[in-house]
Order: sequence, then structure tokens, then C-alpha cells
Amino acid sequence: MKQWDLTHIDRRVIYLLVLLALSIPLALEYALKPARMEAAERAFAVVQDLEAKPGELAFMSLDFGPNSLAENKPQAEVVLEHLLRKRIPVALYSQYYLAEPFLESIPKTVVGRLEKEILGHFWEYGRDWVNLGYRPGGSVMLQNIAKSADLAELFKTDARGNNLRELPIFKGVAGLESVKLLAEFTSLVGGLDSFLQFFQKKGYRPFFIHGCTSITIPQAFIYLDSGQLKGLLEGIAGAAWYSLLLERAYPQRRPDAAQIINTGLGVAHMVVIALVLLGNVGFLIRGRN
Amino acid sequence: MGAAGVYSDVWTIATILVGGVATLAIFSFLIKENPFFRFFEHIYIGIAAGLGVVVTLKNFLWPKIFVPLFGLDLVRFPDSTSAGVYNRGFLLYLAPMLFGLLYYFIYSKKYSWLAKLVIGVSLGASGGLAFQGFFNQMLPQLASSFKPLVVYGSEGWNIGRSFSNSFFVFTLICVMYYFFFSFRRKTATLDKISVAGRWLMMVCFGAYFGSTVMARMALLVERLQFLLGDWRQALLLLVLGA
Repeated sequence: MKQWDLTHIDRRVIYLLVLLALSIPLALEYALKPARMEAAERAFAVVQDLEAKPGELAFMSLDFGPNSLAENKPQAEVVLEHLLRKRIPVALYSQYYLAEPFLESIPKTVVGRLEKEILGHFWEYGRDWVNLGYRPGGSVMLQNIAKSADLAELFKTDARGNNLRELPIFKGVAGLESVKLLAEFTSLVGGLDSFLQFFQKKGYRPFFIHGCTSITIPQAFIYLDSGQLKGLLEGIAGAAWYSLLLERAYPQRRPDAAQIINTGLGVAHMVVIALVLLGNVGFLIRGRN
Repeated sequence: MGAAGVYSDVWTIATILVGGVATLAIFSFLIKENPFFRFFEHIYIGIAAGLGVVVTLKNFLWPKIFVPLFGLDLVRFPDSTSAGVYNRGFLLYLAPMLFGLLYYFIYSKKYSWLAKLVIGVSLGASGGLAFQGFFNQMLPQLASSFKPLVVYGSEGWNIGRSFSNSFFVFTLICVMYYFFFSFRRKTATLDKISVAGRWLMMVCFGAYFGSTVMARMALLVERLQFLLGDWRQALLLLVLGA
């Protein structure tokens, strides 16, 4: 191997460069202003305009595991935060067993942050949010939700074992028409498809917003184009832009990790583009020689 | 907040420390294949296989199926009476469970036909669901692909939207035409449409590949965040005790 052959850079050098590019903004907690994401802006507008009367709630399905935590977790956090700021009750649910711990940890983090920021205001479990837990059954379960005339009767208990009828959040909640918004976050291609197929009944369909990972953006975009999705958070970039919109809407809000992670990813992409260009320059030089 | 404040629980600290070591072990593959990596790889596969079963059993089957089925949620008094009445309707849960267990007859040569019953019902149900789901999912897309090629807005002709819609329809026709294999393309123009379809698909695959790279980076960034945040703090707590 030639010492300076640009077409044969040792892969370990590439890994090291990417590692440095990602870790420096994280270590320094440095954040650049994220790029404007129109689809995330539409998701923000949907939540911002949402009104929930007593007996109405938003439904959040966290269908992701540790493998896509970096993208789906900040998405779920910003949307949940927005809903809780607007005092819209949220029912958290999952079709994916690996998401189960996040159904507890994410609201806990968001509520903790909100209570620290807005002193004297509290968000209570059972009144402002509820964890319905992981429910197996996939499409069949979603069909049952859509057909149910009484969601408290269908789910019976929350993940903590409380009777849903005894929780204030389920007071007055009937069937699917009580769900005003569905926010679904997943890295699984089939996860969103199941909701699009079955989370509706004749004459009624809640607003759908979706948080996808970078890898599924092209697939998710077709649903945004067709109007099946009202808003889309595209990977971490979508979460970062949503986070910035929250900061603009609530000036006292402190920045979160989404914008820092987005900066790290942006720098790493620049490194990858630079390496692709270097490799091509190497090929050109070799061709001339 | 100090690390001690965050991680007051020894079990949590231990979990974080093991998580960090496991992460480094898996990343060590980037340097070269090694026994350290292989050990944690096997552990990971074992956990991934077993976790689903345990979570389903612990958080769904036991509390939602077995507890009401066996009346374990009824409070019993010393005189053998109970606080509630057992609902015999829960016994119906046994029917699908027993039917599902017939699947295990697949290992028997004589009774494997019983397993075929279960497979048949599963396939039929999946087919029915897919059929219903297909229309709910695809029809809106079909309808939205009929886009106006010339768009007029409140401020007159919307050039950007018109171009976007025209390009969408052009791409749709070219790509669909590429997949017409049933008859020969007799003219050069039709061939060019097919080639254009192939090129447009290449652009799409490029976008997919780009987003795949982005997603892989996101996986890495989450682990780095963990190593630089929680793991570093737990390590400091262990080493310095502060």
C-alpha cells in the first residue's frame, strides 16, 4: 500500500475521524442552529393548534428500542413536552417490548424538566399522563382500539396495575373519537403502517404525526405527501428543529440534547462528504498517473 | 448535580458500568475481531432472544391473562369466601391458548396435520388483515398521486408547486413504465422513458443510502452520549468516590 494513497485510507482512520467529529460537539455541549425542517414545523403546528376538551386525549405510541434511541427519544421528548405544556392529557403505549422502559423514563424526564422550569406547576401521573404499557398483538390490538367504544374497558389497567376507570385522565373517555392526536415514534417500518391501516374507524381518524429514523425518511415521506401524516419529525434533525420551535414559543425553556446531537451528526456528515471527495480525488490522481 | 446525587443506587451504577464495558467491547470489532467482542456479542444475542419472552410473560400474559383466568386477583377471607365473584368468562381464554398449542404437533409425524390447522388459521387471519389494511394504507396514496400539473394559488401561478407536481407525475410514469415487462418496447422514445425510470430510481436509492449512513451515525452518537455522560460519571464515582 502506498503511504499517501487516498483511495486506500485505513478504515480505522475513518472510524477515528468520525468518532472525533461526533464526540467533540457532545463533549463540549456545543450546538449550532438546526436547519429548518418543514415537515417538523407542520407537526409542531398540529400540536400547537390542538385543543382537548375533558374526556379527550392524545395517544403516543413509542415503538422503538435502544437501537434507535438517539433519534426517537429526543423526538418523543419534544412532542410529549409540547403536549404537557398545553395541558393535553397523554396516554403512552407501545407495540414493541423493547420500548417498555421508555414509557416510564421519558415522561419522568420531561415532567422533571418542566417542573424545574415552571416553578409551582405540577404534572401528575393519572391526570396529565398515563402509561398503558407494552401491548402485544400488533395490528389486531390496533383494530380492537379502533373498534372499542370504551377504551378504559379495553385496556382495563395501566402498566402500574391501576384500574383505568379510577384515573382522572380516563374520565369521560369513550372510544377512538376521544383520541385527538396520534404521535407514533418508531424505527420499525411496519410500526407506522399498522397505525395507518387500522387506527381509524368509519368517519373518524385522529391527526397523525410521526417520528421516524433517518433510514425510514424516504418511506415516511410518501405518507406526508398523501396527507395521511399531518407532520413528520425526520430523524434527529426533525427533533432539533421542533426543539428550537419550542424555545421560540416558550422563551424560558432551556435547550435540550437534540440540538447538540444534531450538531454532532452534522459535523460527522461533513467528515463523510470530505472523505468521499478525497477518495474521488485519489482516483483522479491515480488515473492520471 | 453531582454524580453521587444522580446515582445513589449501587445497582444503577453497576448497570451503567457494565453497559459501558459492553459498548466498548462491541466497538472493539472496529479495530479487529477479538474474543472480548465475541463474548459480549453472544451475551447480547442471548438477551435479545430471551427478553421478549420474559417481558411478554411478565407484563402481559401473567397480569392480563393468567391472573384473571385463575382468579388470583380475588381477595380470599379466612372463612374461604372471597371479596369478588370469579368471572367464568375468563375460561374462554383457554380455547385459543389450547388451539395455539397445537402448533407443537409439527414435531409429530402422525399428528402434524393438527399444526397445519393453526398455520392455516394464522395465514387466513393475516391475509384478511393485510387485505383490509392495504386499502386503508394505499388508497389515499393512489388518490394523492393525481396532482394538478399547473397550480394556481391566491397570488397567481405557483411555479414551484407546478414544477414539483409535474416532476412527481413524470417520475411516477417513468418508474411504472420501467416495470412493464409484458411487452416489447418498440420505439426509442419508449426505451428512453424506461431508462429515465431507472435513473430516477437510482436517485431514490442514493437518498436511501444517504439516510442509512445518517441512521448508522445516529446509533453511534447515542452510544457516545452514554459513554461521555452517564458512563464517565459512574466511572468517576467508582474511581474517585466523588
